[in-house]
Amino acid sequence: MRKQRTVFLLLLPFLAVTALVLVSVWNVLVQSFGYIPAFGLTQPTLSYYKAVFTNPDFLSALRVSLKIALWSAALACILGVALSMALIRLKKTRGRAVYLVRFPILIPHAVVAVFMIQLFSQTGLLARAGYALGLVEDYTRFPQLLYTPGYGGTIAAYLWKEIPFVAYFVLAFMGSISDSLGQAAENLGASSARSFWEVTLPLSIPVIARAFLIIFIFAFGGYELPLLLGATMPKALPVQAYLAYMNPDLRQRPLAMAMNGVILLLSILMSAAYWYLVRRASRRMEGSA
Amino acid sequence: MRKFRFWKLFLAVTAFCILLPAAQLLLWSIAERWPWPGLLPESCSLRTVKELLFGSAKLPQLLLSSITLGLTVAALGTLAGILTARATELYDFPGKGLVTFGAFLPLLVPGTVFAMGIQITLIRLGLSDTLAGVVIVHLIAAVPYCITIMTDVTRAVGNKLEQQAMVLGASPLRAFFQGSFPQLLPGILSSMSMGFVLSYSQYFTTLMAGGGRVKTLALVLIPYIQSGDRALASVYSVTFAGSALLVFFLFEGLIHFIEKRGDGA
Amino acid sequence: MKRMIAFVLACLMVLPLFGCGSKAEEIDLTNASWEEILDTARGTTVIFYGWGGDENRNNWLNTTVAQYVKENYDITLEVVGMNIDDILAKLSGEKQACASSGSIDMIWINGENFYSAKENGLLWGPFTDKLPNMAAYIDLEDPETLNDFCMPIEGFEAPYAKAQMVMYADTAVTPDLPGSSEELMAFCQANPGKVTYPALPDFTGSAFVRNIIYEICGWEQFQTMAADYDTVKAAIEPALEYLRQLNPYLWNEGKTFPDSSTTLDAMFSDGELVMNMSYSPFTVASGIADGIYTETTQTFVFDNGTIGNTNYMAIAYNSPNKAGAMVVINAIISGQIQLTQYAQLRELPVVATGKLSAEELAAFESVDLGKGILSQAELLSHRLPEMPASLVPIIEQIWLNEVVGK
Repeated sequence: MRKQRTVFLLLLPFLAVTALVLVSVWNVLVQSFGYIPAFGLTQPTLSYYKAVFTNPDFLSALRVSLKIALWSAALACILGVALSMALIRLKKTRGRAVYLVRFPILIPHAVVAVFMIQLFSQTGLLARAGYALGLVEDYTRFPQLLYTPGYGGTIAAYLWKEIPFVAYFVLAFMGSISDSLGQAAENLGASSARSFWEVTLPLSIPVIARAFLIIFIFAFGGYELPLLLGATMPKALPVQAYLAYMNPDLRQRPLAMAMNGVILLLSILMSAAYWYLVRRASRRMEGSA
Repeated sequence: MRKFRFWKLFLAVTAFCILLPAAQLLLWSIAERWPWPGLLPESCSLRTVKELLFGSAKLPQLLLSSITLGLTVAALGTLAGILTARATELYDFPGKGLVTFGAFLPLLVPGTVFAMGIQITLIRLGLSDTLAGVVIVHLIAAVPYCITIMTDVTRAVGNKLEQQAMVLGASPLRAFFQGSFPQLLPGILSSMSMGFVLSYSQYFTTLMAGGGRVKTLALVLIPYIQSGDRALASVYSVTFAGSALLVFFLFEGLIHFIEKRGDGA
Repeated sequence: MKRMIAFVLACLMVLPLFGCGSKAEEIDLTNASWEEILDTARGTTVIFYGWGGDENRNNWLNTTVAQYVKENYDITLEVVGMNIDDILAKLSGEKQACASSGSIDMIWINGENFYSAKENGLLWGPFTDKLPNMAAYIDLEDPETLNDFCMPIEGFEAPYAKAQMVMYADTAVTPDLPGSSEELMAFCQANPGKVTYPALPDFTGSAFVRNIIYEICGWEQFQTMAADYDTVKAAIEPALEYLRQLNPYLWNEGKTFPDSSTTLDAMFSDGELVMNMSYSPFTVASGIADGIYTETTQTFVFDNGTIGNTNYMAIAYNSPNKAGAMVVINAIISGQIQLTQYAQLRELPVVATGKLSAEELAAFESVDLGKGILSQAELLSHRLPEMPASLVPIIEQIWLNEVVGK
């Protein structure tokens, strides 16, 4: 009984936060069913969800969002882990190198979009360097890298921010594993590469997977970068929701909320799938151990 | 050291990719015009620096309030992270899986949705347009990261040292501070940095919860980005990033100092 | 323990279900005299919410206007920068949570946002008939005083500044400036890939497309048109055809449009585009003064005219200081403050020239706005009225379906 009380007290801040989130989401979801008495909408209805799903642009928007999320998360994790390893290997887990890694984390997304435009637009630094080297005759000849329906610019912007995030996120954990167990393996004669692939990396998988999920969900639900760097058509799902929300007609708000509801639902489904996989994997590991 | 050559190259490329836009940002903050195909601005002026220092936004107050807010959120978020991590890592109880899932919940909710929903909640609690309201909203954004970081570290550290101290007769609190705390310190530092960054860069949530009355640096910066005054946006971005890095620097210095003293004692 | 968690959750879940409480009684402002309103407002603080991305305007509000109302009425003016959609989100949140006393007094607003806010009870009024300066300085019969995007204002907002669509280009790069849609087509063909407009629903991009519609289909028929997708589409079909024919010569061949007028501004000053557009008619003068645009940049409008509209100030339905807001609004529409807005911010004033004293008129005429712009008289003689607000989102949707990438 005492132990239970301790647990409850320890969890209290977490529970308070969770409760606030749930209540807030509830406030919004109610609106997605068209229930906003303040604006004279009092008949709960599913018609807004129906409108979202029957919208011909819905599927292409979903595809765009999934693509952005998947590429950003996968590449950020691979390169972020590599960056973290580089820092550990070169014994730069403190000081200047860490500031370098932290810098992109604290740059707001809107500024990152500005960076990308300054670098990759048709008159960006890359095109100018090409011109200076005589490779590009005129900026209209420079390939359009941003604003394409492939959303390469958006993914590049996420990567600039999220590769360092992954590195930072896994650095402390990988550092301690590499220091203790990895070192032990090396003392037993394993090469440093082998100790990385066979000890440090497998043990860090849960942390890396969590970083993957965080980025995936974020890139799936974020509207800023696809809005600023993406194509006019097809739009990403959150951009559509944002534009519906921006619509001055307040009675359009349920539609925006229904789109957000769909985003939320998909995010929850994906994380539930992730949890299921992680638990199954960890059980199997325990089983084999 | 041939075998490190690859890693060195990798790190150098990364550093270049990170620093190139930053250097461009510095140039932009004093540029007037920078037309194609120049590699450097055509003309420069100190207009933006003047506006930053003597313009409508009161910079010292902004910095002070943003940093105080960020540190408060970092401390509270990390505290919540430590407590939650202790519960899930050191105790067994029904619904533990739900807690780890719940810790992720704020990350699953799109920012705009959450900000609009929380605004209504805060009005009902009488906290909208107050500093407390903004702290709560920032905390919600920061706590998932703090919990994740502290969970990983707590799992690695365990509570063996603490239990040894308790066996030797220390009170639980003392046992924690003497046993686990020093080992948790690197994690606490990352968690606090993350909490600080998240609070420092919140825009829409601050706007909705603070109603524009609680002013932060991000709140002033974003409209300048949206208005397209690139020079002014750049000078604010430089201030924004610079001040945050400075805080980290002080952070790290402090930890270093504490550790040194700990070693000496 | 589960029970404890359930209890905490239950308490919080019930919170949103509470209905509205009774509203507090306030002073009856609708029947109060101007002197009583001034008395009530004395010593109070007024909070003015509006777009905060213009450093010059922020400075002007925080210094010129703030000092004026402090000295004359002992009112402290506090300016909060926020986009109008965020302001409406905040206000509707307060409305849903039944906050009878809010935090917003005055709002900078117009068009669809005004219409929606008024329809949904987010604004307080009518109040403009109470303001002495309405009769003293504003033309009460002017359609822009009576209607905002063809929607009746009915005393719920007072004019703040006038805007008008203008285009501009660097005459050192493109000496001939287009004066009509046909000439614009030729202009784009001569500069392939170097002209574009912001993707709708951007405010400026949307106005540009409406302007093209006016050029090709005339403006009169839209003033009374029903807000119906097929009706509007049939009416603007020739303009859509024109825009589709324009696409191949636009930036990125009209497959993509920049997300906002902000992006367009940056592309223009980098030389990526040879033409830009704005809703602030004197923006080129500011750009040249700030060194962002070259000295040879010149503003132009179509010979048939461009769309102009007014932006306004309104009072929030739950403003805790409605009297103070009325006093500040009254001050801002005075000749004196409008003059400073004209001189310092280069904004078209809302005061009626006929109502100004000879002295005030001379002061307005002596203002030197700078280079590269059209005169106020030239702008006003090329000014076309806005469409009904309800047609705007429909046109934006049609554009997305029928023009992008076609």
